[in-house]
Amino acid sequence: MNKKFQQVLLTLIVASTLLMSSCTAASPKTPALPDEIVVAVVQPLTGSFAVFGNEAKIGAELAIQHINESGGIKSMGGKKLKLVVEDAGEKPDTAKLAVESVISKNRPVAILGLYISRFVMAASEVTDREKVFLLADALVPQVTQMGRQYLFRPGPTASDHGKLAYAFLKETAAENGVEIKNMAVLNEDSANGRANTLGATEAALMDQFPIVTALEYPYDITDATQIVEQLKNVNPDVVIHTPYFNDAIVFAKAFQEVGWYPKFIAGAGGCGYTDPESIKAAGEGVEGITMTYSYNPAKDTPQNKKFVEAFKAIKGYIPTEAAGMNYYDAMVLYEALEYSGKNFPDDPLKPENLRAAFMALDLKSGPAVETYPSECIKFDGKGDNTCPGVVVMQVQKGEPKVVYPVAEQEVKPVFPNPHYSQK
Amino acid sequence: MKQILSTKYLPFISIFSLIALIPLVISKDQYAMVLVTTVLLYAVLASAWNIIGGMAGQLDLGAGAYIGLGAFTTGTLLTRWNITPWIGMFIGGFVSVSFAILIGLPLFRFKIKELWYALTSSALVEVLRIVFLMWDEVGGPTEKYLPGGGDNALYSLRFSTYIPYFYIILIFLVIVIYLNHRIRNSKLGFSLLALGEDEDAAEVLGVDARGNKLKALMIYSFIVGTVGGLYACLYGFLHPSFFSTEISTEVVILGIVGGMGITYGPFLAAIFLVSFREYLRAALGGELAGLYLAVYAVVLIVVALFQPRGIAPLFRRLFEKVIRSLGGREHESSAKASS
Repeated sequence: MNKKFQQVLLTLIVASTLLMSSCTAASPKTPALPDEIVVAVVQPLTGSFAVFGNEAKIGAELAIQHINESGGIKSMGGKKLKLVVEDAGEKPDTAKLAVESVISKNRPVAILGLYISRFVMAASEVTDREKVFLLADALVPQVTQMGRQYLFRPGPTASDHGKLAYAFLKETAAENGVEIKNMAVLNEDSANGRANTLGATEAALMDQFPIVTALEYPYDITDATQIVEQLKNVNPDVVIHTPYFNDAIVFAKAFQEVGWYPKFIAGAGGCGYTDPESIKAAGEGVEGITMTYSYNPAKDTPQNKKFVEAFKAIKGYIPTEAAGMNYYDAMVLYEALEYSGKNFPDDPLKPENLRAAFMALDLKSGPAVETYPSECIKFDGKGDNTCPGVVVMQVQKGEPKVVYPVAEQEVKPVFPNPHYSQK
Repeated sequence: MKQILSTKYLPFISIFSLIALIPLVISKDQYAMVLVTTVLLYAVLASAWNIIGGMAGQLDLGAGAYIGLGAFTTGTLLTRWNITPWIGMFIGGFVSVSFAILIGLPLFRFKIKELWYALTSSALVEVLRIVFLMWDEVGGPTEKYLPGGGDNALYSLRFSTYIPYFYIILIFLVIVIYLNHRIRNSKLGFSLLALGEDEDAAEVLGVDARGNKLKALMIYSFIVGTVGGLYACLYGFLHPSFFSTEISTEVVILGIVGGMGITYGPFLAAIFLVSFREYLRAALGGELAGLYLAVYAVVLIVVALFQPRGIAPLFRRLFEKVIRSLGGREHESSAKASS
C-alpha cells in the first residue's frame, strides 16, 4: 500500500512538473512595458549655444505634449511619453556628463539633441554603449560617419544646406533674368561653417561656376569691415555666407558701414539673418537676405500648423530651426515606437527591435512628414535620412518667409536684393 | 620603501587606497564613474598648476594650451602612424614642455609677471586654438574621431568603460601629489615659495628667479600635456576647442580655492567644487537653465570672502581636531609634516 502510494505520488509529481514546465515554455516572457516611456532632451541650455538649445527644448516639449494629447503610442496600448531635460553645458566633458547623468537617472529610450557636432561625438559613444537612441540635430556630415548603431539624424546635413543655397541662387537669378557671373563663399570657422561652404562649392564646381574667393573668419568676430572690404575688392556678383549667429548681425552691419553690396547675399546653415533675434538686432541690414533652414515653418499641414501656433503662443514668433528639428525628431521617434509596437509586440522597447523599426521606416505621411521639409523620411545604414529636406527663407519687410523650393513657396523671392542699389 | 610606508605617509596612502576602492562600489553606475574620473582629472590638472601657480606665484592661465598640445600630439600620432597613446601622451608632454620653454624663456627673461604673465598665458591658449583651427592637416574645424575600442582598446587607450581611465588618472594623481610634496620640501620648492612671496626680495637673497620659474613651468606643462593625451582618448575626438580658456580658468579656480601652494589643496577643491557644480547642473540645469552657474559663482564668492587662504587650511584644522579628540597628538605632527 505504502509502496503503491509512493508510486502514485511520484507519478503525480513528475506529471505536474512536466505540465508546469510546458506551460512556462508555451507562454512567452513578455517584459512589462513601463508606465511611461521616457524620452530625454539634452541641449546646451547655458553658455554660448544656449540660444539654440532653449528653443530646441521647447520644440521637443511641444512634440511630446502633442503626441500624448493624441493618445500616446497607440500600438503600445496608448503609453504616454515623458520628457526629461538635461543641460549639456558648453564643453564636450559637460555634454558627456549630461548624457551619462540622464541615462543613469532616467534610463530614457531615446535622447534628442545635442546640437553641437563635438557634443554629439562625445555623447554618441555613451548612447551607443547603453543602446539608447540618439536623434541628433547637428548638421555636420561627419556626425554619422563613426559607425554608430543607435544614432539617427532625420534632418539634412550642412552640405545639403550649401547645395540648396547655390541651387536657389542659380534658379532664382535665371527666373528673374539676372545674370550672375561669379560668386564668393564666406563662412565662420566651425565644422558647420566649413561643411556648408563645401556643399555650395561642390555644387558650383559641378556647374563650372566661378568662385572668385573663399573667406573664413572666427565665429566670434566683432568687426567684419575688413572682410567686407576684401569682398569689395574682388567684387563678386553673389555671396553665399554661412554665419553662426551673432556674426550674421556683425556682417549685416559691416555691409552697411562699408556701403558695398553684391547683387545678392544668400545665407546657408540655418543660423543667423532670418531668425527673430537677428532681424531685431540688424533691422534693415538683413532685409532681403536669405537663409537655408532644416525646417519649413510654412508647410501647410495640420500637424505643422498646430506646432507653429503652439510655439508662437509661447515665444511670440514662428519656430526657429532648432525648435523645428527637435519637433520632427520627436515625431520620427513616435513613428518608430508605433512601428515597433505593431511589429514587435513581445518587446517593442528592446533596442534591437526599435533599431529595426527605425531602419524599416519609410514615411510618406503622418506627423513626422507633416512637419519635415521634404515628403519622405527613410534612413540609410549610417542613420542619415535618404531624402533630406531644406528650404530657403528670405527676410521680407522684417518677416522671414519661405521662398524656395518653388513647391514650398510662401511668397516669391525678391531678387536681386532691391536694398543693394549700389551694385 | 620603508620611508614610504612610514607613519608620515600613512594618511596619504590610506586616502588613495580608499579612492582606489571606489570602482568596487560604483562600477555599474557609469555616470558616477565618469564623474569621479572627471574629478580626478581636474585634481591632476590643478595639482600640476599648484607648482607654477601655488608655489611660484605665477597666475598661469595656459593649462588649455598644454592640454590641447598634448591631445593633438597623442591623437595625431595614433591616427596617422598608429602610435599607441601610452607613448603618445608622454610625447605630448614633451611637446608641451618644448612649447613652454619657447614661451617661458622670453617671459621670464624680460621679467613678465603677475597680471601680464596671466594675460600672456591666456592669450597663448587662444592663439593656439586659432592656429590649430587653420592648420587643416592636423586640426581644422571638423572634429577628428579617434578610432579604437573592442580588441584594440588597450593599445588605443579607448576603453568602453571609465574604470581603466579612473585608475590611470588616479596613478597620475598620486604621482603629481607626491611630486608636489617632494618639490615643496626641496631646494626648488623653497626657492619657488620665496619667489611666490616676493620675487624681488628672493632675488636679492640669491634665488635664481628665471631658472626656477622655468623649471616649475616645465614640470607643470609636462604633466598637463600628458593629461591632455588622456583627455583626447577619454572623449574620443580631436578639436581645436580643446585649447580652452574655460578649462584654464577652472584649473586656476581649483588651485586658488584649494589653497595656494598647499600640496593637497587642489585635490580637495576638485573633489568639492567639480562634484558640487555637477550636482547643481544635474539638479537645476534642466529646469532653470543657468541658475546652477549663478549658485556656483556665489559659493566661490563666499569661499573667497571667508576662506581667502583656500579650503585646505579649514580641512587641516578639522583633521587636527579629529586627531586631538582621538588623543593622537603624535599623529598630529606627522599629519602636518605630510602636508
